[in-house]
Amino acid sequence: MKLAATYVFRALPEKVFAALIDPAILQKCIEGCEKMEKTGEDTYDANIKIGVAGIKGSYVGKVRIEEKKPPESITLQAEGKGGPGWVKGTARIQISPEGEGSELECESEGQVGGLIAQVGSRLVEAVGKKMQDEFFRKLGKYLEG
Amino acid sequence: MTVTTENAPKVKASQGYFGRAMKRVEDPRLIKGIATYVDDLKIPGVLHAEFVRSPHANAKIKSIKTDTAKKLQGVVGIFTGADVNDKVGTIPCASPIPGGKSPEHTVLAGARVYFVGHPVAVVVAETRTIARDALDLIEVDYEPLPAVIDPEKALEKDSPLTHPELGTNVAFTWSLPGGDVDGAFKEADSVLKLRIIHPRLTPMAIEPRGCAASWHAGESSLTLWTSTQIPHLVRTLLPGLIRIPENKLRVVAPEVGGGFGSKLNLYAEEAVVSHLAMRLDRPVKWIEGRRENAAATTHGRDQIADNEIAIQKDGTVLAIRSKIIADVGSYWQLLTPAIPTLTGLMLCGCYKLKAVRVDLTGVHTNKMSTDAYRGAGRPEAAYMIERVMDLVASELGLDPVEVRLKNMPESTEFPFTTATGLLYDSGNYQDALEKAQELAEWPKLIKERDAARKAGRLFGIGLSTYVEICALGPSKTMAAGGWEWGCVRIEISGKVTVITGATPHGQGQETSFAQIAADWLGVPIEDIVVLRGDTATAHFGRDTYGSRATALGGSAIVMSIEKIVEKAKTLAAALLKSTPKEIEFKNGKFFVNGDGKNALGWGQLASEAYIAKNLPPGFEPGLEASSFFEPPNCTFPFGTHIVAVDVDRETGQVSILKYIAVDDCGKQVNPLLIEGQVQGGIAQSVGAALMENTVYDENGQLLTGEFMDYAIPRAKDIPDFILGSTETPSPSNPLGVKGVGEAGTIGATPAIANAVVDALSPLGIRHLDLPFTPERVWRAIQEKGGRS
Amino acid sequence: MIPAAFDYFRPSTLDEALGLLVKHGEDAKVLAGGHSLIPAMKLRLSQPKVVVDIGRIGDLRSIGERDGKIAIGALTTHFEIESSDLLLRSCPLLPEVAGQIGDVQVRNKGTIGGSCVHADPAGDWPAAMLALDAEFEITGPRGSRTVAANDFFVDMLTSAVESGEILKSIRVPVTPKTVAYVKIAQKASGFALAGVAAVVDKAQKSVAVAVTGVAAKAYRAAGAESSLRGLDLSAATIATAAQKAANGIDPLSDIHASAEFRAHLARVQTKRALELAASRG
Repeated sequence: MKLAATYVFRALPEKVFAALIDPAILQKCIEGCEKMEKTGEDTYDANIKIGVAGIKGSYVGKVRIEEKKPPESITLQAEGKGGPGWVKGTARIQISPEGEGSELECESEGQVGGLIAQVGSRLVEAVGKKMQDEFFRKLGKYLEG
Repeated sequence: MTVTTENAPKVKASQGYFGRAMKRVEDPRLIKGIATYVDDLKIPGVLHAEFVRSPHANAKIKSIKTDTAKKLQGVVGIFTGADVNDKVGTIPCASPIPGGKSPEHTVLAGARVYFVGHPVAVVVAETRTIARDALDLIEVDYEPLPAVIDPEKALEKDSPLTHPELGTNVAFTWSLPGGDVDGAFKEADSVLKLRIIHPRLTPMAIEPRGCAASWHAGESSLTLWTSTQIPHLVRTLLPGLIRIPENKLRVVAPEVGGGFGSKLNLYAEEAVVSHLAMRLDRPVKWIEGRRENAAATTHGRDQIADNEIAIQKDGTVLAIRSKIIADVGSYWQLLTPAIPTLTGLMLCGCYKLKAVRVDLTGVHTNKMSTDAYRGAGRPEAAYMIERVMDLVASELGLDPVEVRLKNMPESTEFPFTTATGLLYDSGNYQDALEKAQELAEWPKLIKERDAARKAGRLFGIGLSTYVEICALGPSKTMAAGGWEWGCVRIEISGKVTVITGATPHGQGQETSFAQIAADWLGVPIEDIVVLRGDTATAHFGRDTYGSRATALGGSAIVMSIEKIVEKAKTLAAALLKSTPKEIEFKNGKFFVNGDGKNALGWGQLASEAYIAKNLPPGFEPGLEASSFFEPPNCTFPFGTHIVAVDVDRETGQVSILKYIAVDDCGKQVNPLLIEGQVQGGIAQSVGAALMENTVYDENGQLLTGEFMDYAIPRAKDIPDFILGSTETPSPSNPLGVKGVGEAGTIGATPAIANAVVDALSPLGIRHLDLPFTPERVWRAIQEKGGRS
Repeated sequence: MIPAAFDYFRPSTLDEALGLLVKHGEDAKVLAGGHSLIPAMKLRLSQPKVVVDIGRIGDLRSIGERDGKIAIGALTTHFEIESSDLLLRSCPLLPEVAGQIGDVQVRNKGTIGGSCVHADPAGDWPAAMLALDAEFEITGPRGSRTVAANDFFVDMLTSAVESGEILKSIRVPVTPKTVAYVKIAQKASGFALAGVAAVVDKAQKSVAVAVTGVAAKAYRAAGAESSLRGLDLSAATIATAAQKAANGIDPLSDIHASAEFRAHLARVQTKRALELAASRG
């Protein structure tokens, strides 16, 4: 599953970048995130409930910052496993100044395995897109005060 | 070999049961729901097993944490590869290929997992629910590795290896040099190329797998009930794994809800459940769920072939060179490497090709193993050669029927040796073709197509003239004996018990073998019972697969009846104060020539034979006999299927408008059973042609793991059939019978494929791969600029 | 194959059911026909601690005329709708849709309410509900409210019914005979790869077209509809309008159909649904 989208924020690139590496803000912006704890310079432990409606699974995993060039770009890698299977994703983010704010381009790749791949494959792309859109929408709300 | 007076049955059939369309004795219990499947068995004290299975296609196992799960109330034990693999042998392959590289197949995963669904650990608990709950508490830590999925990419130099210790993804290579191929190609007017893919399919028997094992500590013996097609083969192979002697194992196939080849195997789960029953000294039962069945029960087909065809401009097909890649998955199950070799052997179909060269490469990938699935290698062959025939016709602008007739042997040319070295026993391909065209009202159908095309419709007619090889076969050519065993016993009361070494699981031999016995013995059919499936009762057998039971099992029964009749004649002679030569046997009665009034029936003879007060000197008590029938050859059923389809130009949907099948399975014991087999085979072919496809994504995740995504035909998808038959007896057995169980699956897919390609041909489309899903068809139309 | 443990309640009145939902909050799920919930529970994709089976609440199963509209109780089965004389006369789109859902067994157990609340992106009902501008009557601890179809289907597998609420009934208008539902089914599941419901009002020279199976939720093909406003329907005008049937949406993509193909099917099925509907009166 590959997604690409662009988001616009009324905040400067530095502020956007800072938010992306702040575990407290990440936890607020990720729907269903029950824990986001910094465990090292570039690593976090995370517990997230992912799904739609009544079909949700709890995933335990790690988020890692693969590459960062503040405030222009950052690549995040996440993987987790839970009852319904495992998930893995990489998001390559580029932030550039846009007027008085920023434009953020996100290219992400996701893979799932186990039960959700076997029975839910038609939902995976839609759920992934929804999660990504939701995340950046919440980030936008936070950044705009 | 033709049937002569020497090898023809010495006993004449009477009463007319043979050949009669009769309802099955099996059906009332199946329909009423009172049949006993594995899950119905009530075993006191039984424990329930559930398997932890890998969600990764290729990964190292870093750790398995079972402490929390073990504490769950009702959990009796949790076992991993570390607990079990040194105590249970590895899963065997009965048909290895010389020079092939077979990976060691431990019953539970060891250091690595190799496919999604690979069993990693097993929980045993007091109830199935507790076992299932325990699965959620077990944590397995994996280190995923890149998965090997595309078999052609797997052969490239820099591909990751499915089994690194083998050093290659090539599982085996096999070649069939059939005749002077190079010479034939030199003679050719032109050479056609055709790349053809047969997708991977999932058998999806209505009853998933399941087994239950019970250890009898006092006797150190084990009983294994398992939903299997092959209790005898399991009884031969399993003892080595669980380390008990062969004669301490009893294997029972209870009612089995479909096999189609997916239960023609010895599975890891059967070995693990047996081992655990011994280890825990309590019976253990395992019932597979549908998702497990889709992932971890053998798959079928999955071949890519690049063909070169040498032809002459008059339509003669001289030779074929075929390079086949078979994606066999990660392990070698019972017959994994053998299946695609059957494709090679049958590649000339029913035609007199001068030469055939097949180069087959089996490839290891991170998927479930392929193995037999209804047709087992022959559907792939028929599909290929029948597509080739249509391609030759379209390239040369000839009639596809004429091209076939041109390349077929005459019925007088049998037995006929093919370029691949097989001896086809008997055949009359022209007859079946003619009959099918008659039933199809061929000229009218052609006119219908012309009119439809004028009106802008995509209307196609396709046919397949197929032949297949079944009722394997002579023991010399088989992995471990191709005979079949049958026992007939006249009881003291005169009732008859027939015991077969075949293991019907839906094929209906409880009825058809009773018909055979009733006719040959001259007893009412109600007096006959047919037993099967229990190695303690049918103490020899080669079980049921490859459409062999009637040809081989039925023949063994006839052999046994002949022995009994001989013996009965001796006894009758003594009782009637005559000599055996003077005794006639007719309609179940023994009498002195001409003196029909003083006849002895089976009841009287049996009574004398067992009570044994009046036996002539040297006469051994009893009236029962068992026999092994050793076939001199396989049988080669054949037929013609004709299909008319309409393709919706805008949506790509294919509708089957007309379906005609004429199949020749030699002499017919019960036409109702034959019709059922043909219909079922066609239904599965409709699935393969139009909608079935086992899909793994690039990470080796099985995306078609449930019926939500794996489409099998429903009742409304099956067309109305017009069925006919011809009868060309087989000289390979005394009954003159050929197999029929797989014919429908072999003849139908190519006919449907040819019809769809014919429908699309006005757009310039010369070939399209299976399955013909709406999108695939639509895209082919788009590529050719066809309006949508 | 075996659900996680749960408590099971079978209230006999709506009030009782609502009480249970209030008491158990997020832990509870409502069970109607069961053909969406039970498979999810057996796979353990859904693990409600409490199942509230409303299947015996007779009040919720009915088809009747009320104030010029037709009210259908949420627990009415697809089969009851398929065979309703009243609906065949007054709102024939519904029986036509019902007859194409799943198979006979599913139609005997599945309910229109359960199906709508489940809001499967490829379910058949949402297309009809949108095309008819149906109204959904929802009841909960804070009383009853009515939600228009446009607002009822919120997202993939998400309806406007919130935790603690129960869908009570659906109101649909009386329509002319010029309606149609055409569907091309995903061969395995029977759900729609593209299902289009069309309601044609020849007198008003307007159409309503709703598409399911193509996007994350069913949608009204507004572009196609506005192309036909004020026009007489002909093969030409329908064909032009149908070209817009996939405008402005993000089609789903899976192993059964790519986004491109789904969009194409939306257009083809829109054309066919409109032609069929128009031909009926």
